Amino acid sequence: MKNGEVNHLRRMGTWWAIASIVLDVVYWFAVGPHITPGRLTEMAKNNQMDFNILFLVALPVLLGVWIFMGYAFVHWSEKRGAPEPVGGPAGAENHRTNVLWISITSIAVLAAAVFGTWALIVDHGSGGGEGPNPVWIPDGASSVQATALAGTAKWAPGTNAPLPVQVIGQQWRFTYRYPTFGNFETPDLVLPANTTVVFDVTSLDVIHSFWAYQLSVKADANPGVNNVAYTETRGTGNFVVRCNELCGIWHGSMFDFGKVVSQGDFMNWAQKTEAANAANTKLLPAFAYTYTPDANGAAGGFYPDGGVTPYSPVETYGAKQPVS
Amino acid sequence: MSNTPEEVEFELRAHVGSLWTGGRLFIGIYTFLIASLAFSYFYLRSSNNSDLWRPNHVTAPTAYGWSIYGMMMGAGILAYFGQTRLRKGQVADWFVACWTGVGLGVVALFLQIWELVVLNFYPGSSGYASTFVGFVVFNIISLTLGTYWLETCVARAHRMGFEMGEGAVLANTSAGRSFRANVASMTYFWGFLGLSGTMFLLMFYVL
Amino acid sequence: MTISAERPTEVATHSASPYSSKKPRGWFSQHLGTALLAAIIGYLIGHWLGNHIAWNYPTTAATGQNYVANFLALLFGVVGWLLGIGALNYPLAKLVGRSGEHEPEEADGISKYFRYSTNHKTVGIQYIVGVLLFLFTAGLLAMAIRTELLNPTTHVFSPDTYIKIVSEHGTIMMMMATSIIVGPLGNYFVPLMIGSRRMAFPRIEAFSFWTFTAGYMVIFSALPYGGFPTGWTGYAPLQTQAGPGMISYLFGFAVIGLGMMTAGFNVAVTIVNYRAPGMTWSRVPVFVWGILATAALMTLATPALFAAGTFGLLDLVNQTAFYVNEHGGSSYLWQNLFWFFGHPEVYIMAIPGFGVVGELLPVFCRKPLFGYKVSAAGMIGVALLSFFVWQHHIFQSGINPDMRPLFMLTTEMISIPTGFIFLVGLGTMYKSKMRFEIPMLFSLALYFNFLIGGLTGVFISDVPVNVTLHGSFFVLSHFHYTIMGGLVFAFMAGLYYWLPKMTGKMMNKKIGLWHFWTMFIFFNLTFFPMFIIGMLGQPRRVFTYAKSLQGLNDFSSISAYILGFSFIIFAWNLMYSMYIKPEMAPANPWDSLGLEWQTATPVPRHNFDRIPVITNDPYHYAEPGATPLVDRGQSSSSSGYQA
Repeated sequence: MKNGEVNHLRRMGTWWAIASIVLDVVYWFAVGPHITPGRLTEMAKNNQMDFNILFLVALPVLLGVWIFMGYAFVHWSEKRGAPEPVGGPAGAENHRTNVLWISITSIAVLAAAVFGTWALIVDHGSGGGEGPNPVWIPDGASSVQATALAGTAKWAPGTNAPLPVQVIGQQWRFTYRYPTFGNFETPDLVLPANTTVVFDVTSLDVIHSFWAYQLSVKADANPGVNNVAYTETRGTGNFVVRCNELCGIWHGSMFDFGKVVSQGDFMNWAQKTEAANAANTKLLPAFAYTYTPDANGAAGGFYPDGGVTPYSPVETYGAKQPVS
Repeated sequence: MSNTPEEVEFELRAHVGSLWTGGRLFIGIYTFLIASLAFSYFYLRSSNNSDLWRPNHVTAPTAYGWSIYGMMMGAGILAYFGQTRLRKGQVADWFVACWTGVGLGVVALFLQIWELVVLNFYPGSSGYASTFVGFVVFNIISLTLGTYWLETCVARAHRMGFEMGEGAVLANTSAGRSFRANVASMTYFWGFLGLSGTMFLLMFYVL
Repeated sequence: MTISAERPTEVATHSASPYSSKKPRGWFSQHLGTALLAAIIGYLIGHWLGNHIAWNYPTTAATGQNYVANFLALLFGVVGWLLGIGALNYPLAKLVGRSGEHEPEEADGISKYFRYSTNHKTVGIQYIVGVLLFLFTAGLLAMAIRTELLNPTTHVFSPDTYIKIVSEHGTIMMMMATSIIVGPLGNYFVPLMIGSRRMAFPRIEAFSFWTFTAGYMVIFSALPYGGFPTGWTGYAPLQTQAGPGMISYLFGFAVIGLGMMTAGFNVAVTIVNYRAPGMTWSRVPVFVWGILATAALMTLATPALFAAGTFGLLDLVNQTAFYVNEHGGSSYLWQNLFWFFGHPEVYIMAIPGFGVVGELLPVFCRKPLFGYKVSAAGMIGVALLSFFVWQHHIFQSGINPDMRPLFMLTTEMISIPTGFIFLVGLGTMYKSKMRFEIPMLFSLALYFNFLIGGLTGVFISDVPVNVTLHGSFFVLSHFHYTIMGGLVFAFMAGLYYWLPKMTGKMMNKKIGLWHFWTMFIFFNLTFFPMFIIGMLGQPRRVFTYAKSLQGLNDFSSISAYILGFSFIIFAWNLMYSMYIKPEMAPANPWDSLGLEWQTATPVPRHNFDRIPVITNDPYHYAEPGATPLVDRGQSSSSSGYQA
């Protein structure tokens, strides 16, 4: 390797190393702790950490290319008197560079994929909607789903029980049902701290998406589908809920504010609301994963064809979940 | 623009090659189209939303289905058979085979369109019904394209006969070579239609 | 090397059919005017027919809309358009056996651009106009969106109008971007770069252009029909709930899809078969590799869109239930079909950009392209892998959760071949001798922008992080960085580079510099804050947001206005350089070794007087003793004007 060649790459490499280390450290300590989505829940903390780790890797890549390009503009510009380039095979191919580049990028990418998968599993789906048959389930969450459907679910402070909350999206608001408190339905989302919350997200009409920003939960609300997402609250605080899937003209104003309160406060609120809403709750349908009408429901019969069309013999309220 | 014999031959080979490549690529495009329909069928079948995939195992009129299928296969087999005869120099056989094929194709097309009128279920009454209507639309397109291609080949052969004399379709002229490459691609497409037709027959009428 | 010939028994005969017709001229031949007239007549016939069929359907009475009439009107309108321009003349003539051997002659003068032309160069220039039409329409809509987002509580548009604007902007831009490089530059230059005198299927190529323009009219018709509320992604069941504008969307996609499939089909077959003798695969220019990879996607991914659109139309017009959960259909079916197309679609938008900058960089670095094979492998690899990543658009939608790590892996993997583009670019820049002409500036800007766009893609592909970022302005900024920052900048690079070849006139450098710097700086100022806005919780397609984000939104909006203004500078440059004060271009203004620069200007009707024999690839800069590109004994002379 000629002297000149080593000089360029070494110079660039040095600047790059210094810039990367300095900026990465600054990022990690100064910016990272404030990165989206905050630290209100376990999922939020982990997702924040994931973002920061990815950023630590992405920043040197960015800097590397920028430094290289900036260096090239200064040193290898015709106007600034760059020497004649070397053509031929020497200029057009460098097997070592290719191998190095491909290896490094492949390793980085595969590591990112492995890391992401590990984080997803360890974090019980990282707050994302897992569909009606989730695979990475926090302790006790699947049994609480069964009891919720059966109407026997209970939650009390200090028991470490998961709390099931159903999120019902419709055009254009979210409502929430609490099966552990008599299935009352309310437009307010209040959650207890230090609890595993099991969200059962569904929709009554079109596709919405339940995005609770600070909880780091995002699950699409599909009509006729139960989309399950988990979060584990830690401290108290407020959070924003926005609809994240275009659902019609008022999509933009489909948002909510929720809060995480202490377990005691939550218990008080829940019992009070259950009592206050008792009359209304009696009129609601039983708790089910989905609530959409079908060919059998809603004013009987869509097809005036003299009974030629076969109707489904099975009522779909609370019926088997479609596999996506 | 210079036109030495070498250049003419080069461009002719490029043209004939294009008919070959194009024919295969067209089958590729069509495969993805058909695959989208097949995907929809199997997806809705496994989802079985509202238990309305195929209530009472509803099936479209099988008489129509088998007739259309039979005619489509007939046209395809005739196209293939015709090409074999053409390659042996039996042009008359090819004409008969292909005109029969065109006739079968046209009848199949009409039957397929008519089937929509005599459907024994409402289009939206089940997942099967919806995908079936989608299949009918695609089948209409397939039959139209296939029959059109077949017809234009025979028409071209006739005109070549009138304008360039008997045996023009067999000659080693640019017109002849181009024609035969076109027929080859067309026959291949009919083979593909036969395969995909069989698959859909099984999916919609048999199983 | 000579072209060996098995001599045919005769030189090509042309049947004396009237189809091999005389030059079209005059008002009563077929041209844009007749196309428009026939489209209008077709539209009215279709509407009448639809009313005749469906006036007494229960859905017509119940909704007050006659979807059958709306659909048939658009369908017959498109057919009329194609009939009127003459795109269906040959297919109809074939029914009576007429030969296609003799191409119709091209009209004289400027009227050829308003007609159906089988000259790929004319089609290329027509595509420039078509693409710019889409771009400016959707660009105006973008300005409207940014105006609405100036204030979270004061609203300029009603929510209904706003969502219509958002949907229309996205859809028109996506449709435009599918063809922005393949259409104009691919069609014009691929034959020239492979040493061919023609395209494999010139009529199919022309058909693709006129279908493209028909698609514009169909998608534009959504606006007077009341728009569609679903965004460009068209999710069911909102799609099923929507009004007649939805038909324009679904049918528009089917029409544009047809245009894409035919354009890709033609150019792919041409590249495979019409390469000049001596042009082995290792001598094919990088731009052509890019177009080939893109064409593979255009032909094979678009049928899924066509199917998805057809099923949606069937749902609306024929009351099927493809996407309706309650009747045995599934809203996930649309998502899967759409994104199966949708992901290759965005690579249809990225790869041509890579091809352009790969082609331009050696010219302006005066150095061979570094890693030619890696570059080609990268583009093909991206194209291939793009079929296996689509579910990363729907991670939280309730898909089978076991699929998520798989799609995360494939999506992460696709960044490996994408990275090859950077390897090749940086390797070419290394120890080069850069000339910062305007095409070079735009190419370098692609590297800058796409780096940011691509890296942010890696963030979104990570499923845990995706939980925060999906559906937010972060994603929006990511795809604007890759599509606009990549593809549109590459388009500008290609235009500035190749317009001297297409028109014989240089684009004005001073105005060009203003255009470049305004566009580059304000593009970044518009979209970079959007990453932050998205991370702070603002979803896409909303008209209201947290008050604390107003500062960033306003910054973005004002920058967007200036970005929009940069397109006016571009339009001004075009007008100025082409018509007002044209400056004649030298034969090879960029000192390129490319084969396209060795044709005469204006490029003769059949490109090369004699088919060239290729002896090398066009990247042997800084290599004084290199074998020339073309065997001089055989090729045409390159300078001066030729008939």
